[in-house]
Amino acid sequence: MAVTPHTVDELTRAAEPRSGWTAAVAKFARERPLGAIGGAIILVMVVMAATAGFLAPYDPLATDYGAMLTAPGPGHWLGTDAFGRDVLSRMIYGSRTALMVGLGASLIGATFGGVIGVASAYFGGRVDLTVQRVMDVFFAFPVIILALAVVSILGTGVGNVILAIAVPMVPRCARVVRASALSVREMPYVDAARAAGYGHRRIILRHMLPNVMAPLLIMATAFLGEAILLEASLSFLGLGVTEPTAAWGLMLRGAAVEFAESAPWMAVFPGLAISLAVFGFNLLGDSLRDALDPRLRTQ
Amino acid sequence: MAYYILKRLLAIIPTLLGVAVLIFLLLRVVPGDVVEARYMGEGGQFQSQDLMQIERKKLGLDQPLWKQFTTWMWGLAHLDFGLSMWTGAPITEEIQLRFALSLQLAVMASTVAVLLAIPLGVLAALKQDTWVDYAVRVFSIAGLAMPSFWLGILMILSMLIFFKWLPPMVFTPLWVNPWENLAQLIWPALAVGYRYSAVGTRMMRSTMLEVLREDYIRTARAKGLWLKLILTRHALRNAILPVLTIMSLEFAFLLGGLVVTEQVFNLNGLGMLFVEGIARRDYTLTQALVMLVATFFLVVNFVVDIAYAWLDPRIRYR
Repeated sequence: MAVTPHTVDELTRAAEPRSGWTAAVAKFARERPLGAIGGAIILVMVVMAATAGFLAPYDPLATDYGAMLTAPGPGHWLGTDAFGRDVLSRMIYGSRTALMVGLGASLIGATFGGVIGVASAYFGGRVDLTVQRVMDVFFAFPVIILALAVVSILGTGVGNVILAIAVPMVPRCARVVRASALSVREMPYVDAARAAGYGHRRIILRHMLPNVMAPLLIMATAFLGEAILLEASLSFLGLGVTEPTAAWGLMLRGAAVEFAESAPWMAVFPGLAISLAVFGFNLLGDSLRDALDPRLRTQ
Repeated sequence: MAYYILKRLLAIIPTLLGVAVLIFLLLRVVPGDVVEARYMGEGGQFQSQDLMQIERKKLGLDQPLWKQFTTWMWGLAHLDFGLSMWTGAPITEEIQLRFALSLQLAVMASTVAVLLAIPLGVLAALKQDTWVDYAVRVFSIAGLAMPSFWLGILMILSMLIFFKWLPPMVFTPLWVNPWENLAQLIWPALAVGYRYSAVGTRMMRSTMLEVLREDYIRTARAKGLWLKLILTRHALRNAILPVLTIMSLEFAFLLGGLVVTEQVFNLNGLGMLFVEGIARRDYTLTQALVMLVATFFLVVNFVVDIAYAWLDPRIRYR
């Protein structure tokens, strides 16, 4: 799609010579404004997480019983919770938890899902059939139920929550990747690798997996938002990240609901943070899909 | 066609068997059992090991795993879910009312979702690349981003602050007092329905865009048909099928997947029962619940597939 520069700003920018990366990012931002907005939201979130110690006005864990349930004001911009902890600081630190769980879960989910999907397509026949049937079994469980079951086995805490969220993602990833890998399998270079006498593992990991990276990456981005939502849900139920860690879902639990009428800021702001983060990842994921994989384009 | 239906129907059985094995094993891996969960709960003190052993024997927990599994399977084959390990009551009794609640909520939420998705999706497609289109897309992506439990909290909060009114917190079955029932369930249905409309809206928009470019639409326009008639008679009929498919699959998941929303609105649905069951290590109850939800999902899936083939003559199955 040819885009003519509209504003003076764009004209000057278009005139400057640019390296590949900046050019690609600028092109993406121009052609997909919604995706760029999503990227900007994520960037803010990443910066927030990285500089939390510097940005947050208070220690997210420090309780101040003299300032319990303080309304938003100059001292505490977004108020305090039932333990007198600063809501803004906890929200800033909460971005760390959200990003860690989101990235961790989608990385693990996409890796295992990718390998299983490609292997299933590569071997075909009985192996493929068996893998597909096992995946069908996982599909019959609602995601949250599967995550809850895994958390009950492993216990709560950040690491276990990451695993609990990654497990339901594996079959979903595997199914999408398998579909792409089926066409990759028919490629001459896979035949060539086989003729050269390479082992199964090498063909799967070195020759096929890199060629299904586009759908895998798209799935992983889409999962990121979902993983953050799922973490919030688990934490809200008390089965995710545990107190006193700063996590958005956890902030909505208990006192936030109990004191919702007198201290609504406790219930409003963390939810806003969750929504914005997931919104950002969804916008970016959608645009990435359209930009990277024309076959999946939704028009 | 009859052969295809039979084949698909039979394929459900091994999947269900897989679900049964998986949940059976998952529950056995969860540390502790129902006897421990019960006695640990009372003041945190352990009862004597002997007494706990007797309790276990009563529940059949002392038997080898394969035997426990075959006993359970044998019961299932006779549609006998057995007794809850925690309350000792028949599981069908435990589940009945909660199933009614969850099913009604799922139906209401899906209705909300369809009523939002179809008009919004069509509107966005007709006004493609205008501000209307962008607004609809942002609205639907926002729906996907907002946790429905947070939406629920906001709803309750605003009703409390602006109207000094709270929806009823105790469940009344529809057949007892429909007004009271709807006054409670409409809010979670709206919160969940909005979220689930998002997928449908996006699907509706893209299928509608595709259909509007078809030759027969141009023909209809060329012969001077009313736009309204073209839309309802020609375009919508062809575009709506994938939307209904995707929404039925979502519907299947709503039955057991609303754990957190149920918590916010204080609803005793299947989701909360699952959380309770697993916390109490009530193997029989949790297993029965999972089987119920999985069967429901597989059957809906099956019905959707068959309906698809039946509604769309272009699709022929071997």
